[in-house]
Amino acid sequence: MRTVDDFTRPLEYLTPLDRYLGPIARNWAETQVFPFRREYDEDWEEHRLIEPAFKALMGELGFQRFFFPEDLGGFGMGHSDCTAVLAYRIVEEISRADSAFGVAFAVLHWPLLMICLEPHVNRRLCEEFAPMFCKTDEAVFAANAMTEPQGGSDIENLDLLKGSTIRTTATRDGDEWVISGHKLWPTNSGGAAKLFGVVCTTRPGSTDPDDFAFIYVPADLPGVTQGKPYQKAGMAADKNSDIWFEDVRVPVWYRAQGPGDDLKYFKEMVAWGNMATIGFVGGAMMNAFEILRDFSNEKTFRGKPLKENDDVAGVLADVATSIDVVRVLGYQMARMMDRTDLYGPGWSDEIVIKARAYKYFACDRAVEMLGKALDLMGPFGSDRALDIEKHWRDVKICQLWLGGKQLAQMEVARWWYDCETL
Amino acid sequence: MKYQDLFPVPTEWVGDADLSMAETLAAWGEREVKDGRLEHREDYEGLLEPAMRRLFVELGLGSMLLPEESGGGGCTEPGAAMTCAVALESVGSADTGLAFLLANTLAVQAALAVEPVGDEALSGAMAEVFCTDVPAVASLVLPAYGAGSVGRARFNGLDHQVSAEKNNGAWTLKGKDVRPQCSGATADLFAVTFAGDDGAPALALVGSTDKGLKVGRPFKKTGLAASVNADLDFDGVAVTAASVIPLGPGGMRELLSRYYSGCAAACMGALLAAYEIIREWGDTRVIKGKGQVFKENPLVASLMGEIGAAMATDRLLTYDLARLLSRPDLYGPPGSPAMFATATAVFKQVSRSGMRALDNVMELMASAGYATEWNLERYWRDVKTIEAYVVPDTAAKVDMARHYFDLETI
Repeated sequence: MRTVDDFTRPLEYLTPLDRYLGPIARNWAETQVFPFRREYDEDWEEHRLIEPAFKALMGELGFQRFFFPEDLGGFGMGHSDCTAVLAYRIVEEISRADSAFGVAFAVLHWPLLMICLEPHVNRRLCEEFAPMFCKTDEAVFAANAMTEPQGGSDIENLDLLKGSTIRTTATRDGDEWVISGHKLWPTNSGGAAKLFGVVCTTRPGSTDPDDFAFIYVPADLPGVTQGKPYQKAGMAADKNSDIWFEDVRVPVWYRAQGPGDDLKYFKEMVAWGNMATIGFVGGAMMNAFEILRDFSNEKTFRGKPLKENDDVAGVLADVATSIDVVRVLGYQMARMMDRTDLYGPGWSDEIVIKARAYKYFACDRAVEMLGKALDLMGPFGSDRALDIEKHWRDVKICQLWLGGKQLAQMEVARWWYDCETL
Repeated sequence: MKYQDLFPVPTEWVGDADLSMAETLAAWGEREVKDGRLEHREDYEGLLEPAMRRLFVELGLGSMLLPEESGGGGCTEPGAAMTCAVALESVGSADTGLAFLLANTLAVQAALAVEPVGDEALSGAMAEVFCTDVPAVASLVLPAYGAGSVGRARFNGLDHQVSAEKNNGAWTLKGKDVRPQCSGATADLFAVTFAGDDGAPALALVGSTDKGLKVGRPFKKTGLAASVNADLDFDGVAVTAASVIPLGPGGMRELLSRYYSGCAAACMGALLAAYEIIREWGDTRVIKGKGQVFKENPLVASLMGEIGAAMATDRLLTYDLARLLSRPDLYGPPGSPAMFATATAVFKQVSRSGMRALDNVMELMASAGYATEWNLERYWRDVKTIEAYVVPDTAAKVDMARHYFDLETI
């Protein structure tokens, strides 16, 4: 019997750690999430069922220490040349159980990439924040505060707008930044995050890269207010809310990299977000394969197992093909992020655009494939007890973030066709 | 905007009474359902009950296909198909789940009472269920995928979910983990297809309190919150011959064709609701930091064009199918293989293209599309649930091919 492990991965890209951390992540998913995930939709606000699983993965197994240097208690993956490939594997394993867990887990690391990844490690900030994540058994979340009420995906639309629409301001006052603004939708908000990476501007309306600022803001500072989580079509383990920053003061060295470099490495972070999203939908698709495999063995059509009908087999083939292709693509993107010596830095326009393009492609395949799977299962497809509908709801949400499909199309077209006015 | 203005329907086919009903139902939807859509999520059964009572009982939709002399609405002529389409579209725009319950109920009533198959005695008896001051729902139990090695009689490749034995003119139904189309936990009547005399399709009417019928625990599902569904066990449920409609293949096709027509209309209602939501979004959002109104962006406009095209053509198809069913003198009997293929095609087309349109709307709205607050995502979940529930996609494709290409063995 075929399993999810039969879907292709470029083996020469794998790190030795894959054989250790991969099974640990899988075992966590199968014991901590699979048995409970059908109840998560009702737990979207309180996270009473969800939190223990996060604690086991992030705190007790220590996966939240992934990027911090070893001497600060981390796994030291920020200075490896196989970080992205390993991260992809872990995210895929988590998302096989529940892609919202994959998202919340990945996003806890997301703002930390700005300071933990070679070649732009900010040692002082690593030392500042490592204890928060590395010296505890509790799950600790971080979040990227990007989207604003007036702008939708404008923040991610860097090529066109260059940060000019950002209204969250960072004003220098002596040795402090004073942050003021209103953000929407960050993953791990709604009371979850202990640390925010806040996208702000030092000069509203400016298109100068030097005025784009990425500044860390601990969530417990005076002036930080997180709203109640939003209710959504899926993704219950991923809390989102409004966040208000009202004259929040942080040390001046809480700025991630400084003028110009904040924007440069923020682009790299966007590329990582797109790469990880391939893992979110890829993991969900792999579990959909397992569900369909069992369903098509058990149910009959025309008196035969479902899978033994030629027309059904055609659909099953489409499903398996999509999964295989998306998995190869995800690992390929991760490899390109890792081997900057071959493919260029992660903040280059080419890498950023290709990550966006692959995410766009993978999400479209996932949405299409999960829709087909649900249709194939008929009334059982929408039954929460069979889990396919959960993945169907979740991958649609994955498709729409990071600027959504239309922004992806514009950015891809700009790069490939030298569009100048879009 | 008037009922037929933006996405036209062939108004010459829609009677004045139906147009008036559409206006009444639009007002009902605005007043009693749409205003409370978010609150419904918290207490769906409790908060929706008053709206459902008004719809099914006071406005009479819950019994509209039963004869007047029995207390029903008297829409027993073939033209009832158009009345159903108008009603279900309007209700679907307010709450697609409620429209799905009504589509089930009306499909059963059509099998009882709509000419030429009307069964006067049985429809009179069923008036006791539907013509009261309490909303009553009928749920279809249709052929489905089989399970394990149990060999059951089939219709078009799908297994009848119950087996039946006949003794002294009465039937005894047996079946385990039977999945009804809707409201397994709350329906008043189940209309169960099975292989009757000589293996021909038949429809048994089983009351929810009949001996031997066991209702399982309600299960959770993607959408259609108005339908509290649960699997059923038929543990030797006795059904008298008087409560069985010998459909035969033609009657079965007619039942399904009318059901597909109703479900297409319910989906169309959801699309019209989604149109209102994306219209407001497109008018009020700006993008690219330059104050460009969202809908005025060419890429957005091209997607909106696709959405509009789907709605316009889906609506025409929905009403065309209702018309075909309404005029057997012109288009042949509603249970003909040709009509069944067309009904299947229209339902699959409307639900699939509707899903694509809803996907596009959600993409345009991005996070607001999947946030409960904006109400779009509920229609997206509802239409997908209908698309999956009514007929498995693979079975529907072969149903169409069977007619269009003269299949002989499947």
